[in-house]
Amino acid sequence: MASKKNKRNPHDKRRLTKRKLREWMYGYIFILPWLIGVSIFFVYAMVQSLRFSFSNIIFSNGITFNALANPWDNYASVFMKEINFPITLANFGLGLALQLPIIIAFSLIIALLLNSKIRARSVFRMIFFLPVIIATGPVMQQLTAQGVSSVPMVSQNTLLGILQGLPEFIYQPISDLFSSLILILWNSGIQILIFLAGLQKVPSTLYEAAKIDGASGWESFWKITLPIMKPMILLNSIYTVVTLATGGDNEIIQLIYDVSYAPTKGYSYGAAMSWIYTAVVAVILLIVFLLLREKSDRRVKYETKRPDLKERRQDA
Amino acid sequence: MAIGGTKVNPKKFHKNQIPFYLYLIPVAVFMGAPIVYIINHAFKPMDELFAFPPKFFVSNPSLINFRNLFQTAAGSSIPISRYIFNSFIVTVAVVLLSIIISTMAGFALSKMKFKLKNTIFEVNNLALMFVATAVTIPRYLTINAVGILDTYWAHILPLIAMPVCLFLIKQFMDQVPDSLLEAAQLEGAGAFRIYWKVILPLTKPAIATGAILAFQSVWTNVETSNLFTSSEGIRTLGFYMNTLSGVGTVQGQGMAAAAAMIMFVPNLLLFVVMQSSVMNTMAYSGMK
Repeated sequence: MASKKNKRNPHDKRRLTKRKLREWMYGYIFILPWLIGVSIFFVYAMVQSLRFSFSNIIFSNGITFNALANPWDNYASVFMKEINFPITLANFGLGLALQLPIIIAFSLIIALLLNSKIRARSVFRMIFFLPVIIATGPVMQQLTAQGVSSVPMVSQNTLLGILQGLPEFIYQPISDLFSSLILILWNSGIQILIFLAGLQKVPSTLYEAAKIDGASGWESFWKITLPIMKPMILLNSIYTVVTLATGGDNEIIQLIYDVSYAPTKGYSYGAAMSWIYTAVVAVILLIVFLLLREKSDRRVKYETKRPDLKERRQDA
Repeated sequence: MAIGGTKVNPKKFHKNQIPFYLYLIPVAVFMGAPIVYIINHAFKPMDELFAFPPKFFVSNPSLINFRNLFQTAAGSSIPISRYIFNSFIVTVAVVLLSIIISTMAGFALSKMKFKLKNTIFEVNNLALMFVATAVTIPRYLTINAVGILDTYWAHILPLIAMPVCLFLIKQFMDQVPDSLLEAAQLEGAGAFRIYWKVILPLTKPAIATGAILAFQSVWTNVETSNLFTSSEGIRTLGFYMNTLSGVGTVQGQGMAAAAAMIMFVPNLLLFVVMQSSVMNTMAYSGMK
């Protein structure tokens, strides 16, 4: 009986067949080591820090939890008393809004250039990926300390001179942008790599077909390359936001670190602050996701277009 | 139409290449400059280090910064080779383990069906965003409770589950066509065989990228040495270099420059070794 029912409706999700159980088992086996690591060092630690953020903890011979008058006290004081926090957060948001498109556009352009048929391609690829290798803690400290990370003085001053008329809150992030432009570009190594991987999967027949139909390079970029690259753009955007948000040179991370180990404020306070920050980053990621996600109808359109193009090419 | 067709695939690219170079070369120089600077900076004698305006190239290269660095190191009770050895063990262990763990998890999340799959991936995304500072003390407490404080495990275990690594690898595995796995399954390959013979070779670029990310996160990590160990003999080179160059002396500046260079040489070596697999993206590894 059971097998008969199963046959009739093989995609019934609620039924637990033997095969399904076996498949699940393999899934669990493969995910288990990772799950253990993450549960102990991330999930458990995060739950703990959430608990800390709702109390006032003191470290001396173990931890003592002091209950707060109001469990939300730490969160309230982050907003009420910490003047630096909203300002730094706003600056971070603005900086991100400026940097993200630059990184994505830059890495897409570089990936397109690197994907074209030119000589010494591998040398260029190495140069653009090299920063990922080198841009580690001590090296970065050196670079920012020496001011090498900025655009050469002359061009920077001319550019900023033009922008001088703008209001402070626009001018400031832009000038920050210029003073760390190299660092921003240095952050694009992984993104370039991901885009390259995506570009190499675009079948060249598509471009040929488009060309026969009279599409210019510009048109085929917008109509072929960009739609196919959309999932990659989403992946890259998320990756970029995450690296920018959790990188060591981020001012908010620095602030949280300072606050956490300051004698007057303490770890609970820092924990509350990091949860607020995480929530903000999550919202930013959600916005990025909603803006860049692949709409299902658009995908259908693209897929029906493809055979169409191929057919015409054969006709020709 | 036929005439248009011949234009599509020109055999020679001589002229077309020029604009590409016009864009690529300046940007490449622009991005490569700081690397040259770091190398030059490490070899600058004292007077050039503090010259204003700072000079880009060194004019009288000297090894004085390195000498200072090693002299200070020789003065301490633990030889520098010990730190190097510690760093080596910890780095190799973290890179290997984190790659095995993330590829296995990525395979499961990307290609297998099981309950709670999406929840697990969401947890990973949350961990991805979370501020590491906020979990250091809970991590310390965990490590203390497990009883691995002041051992190599304290360096290794907190770092092996890397959310960024899993995220990247999983996204790459999503693009391995399912039909390939089905074919392997029809041939009678089990889950482990598919993982080893199909998935791993096909996602080599992602794995190499993940390995480099893992390497970086552990090689320059000072936090585990700082917080999870108390005896000097178990701490890593990154931590040691940090303490040496952190001394706020005039010599410290030069030593910091030398230390920065020493720390990035292994990165460079690793990249040279891995570069073919990093750069040869999907198209060359049998995927459509």
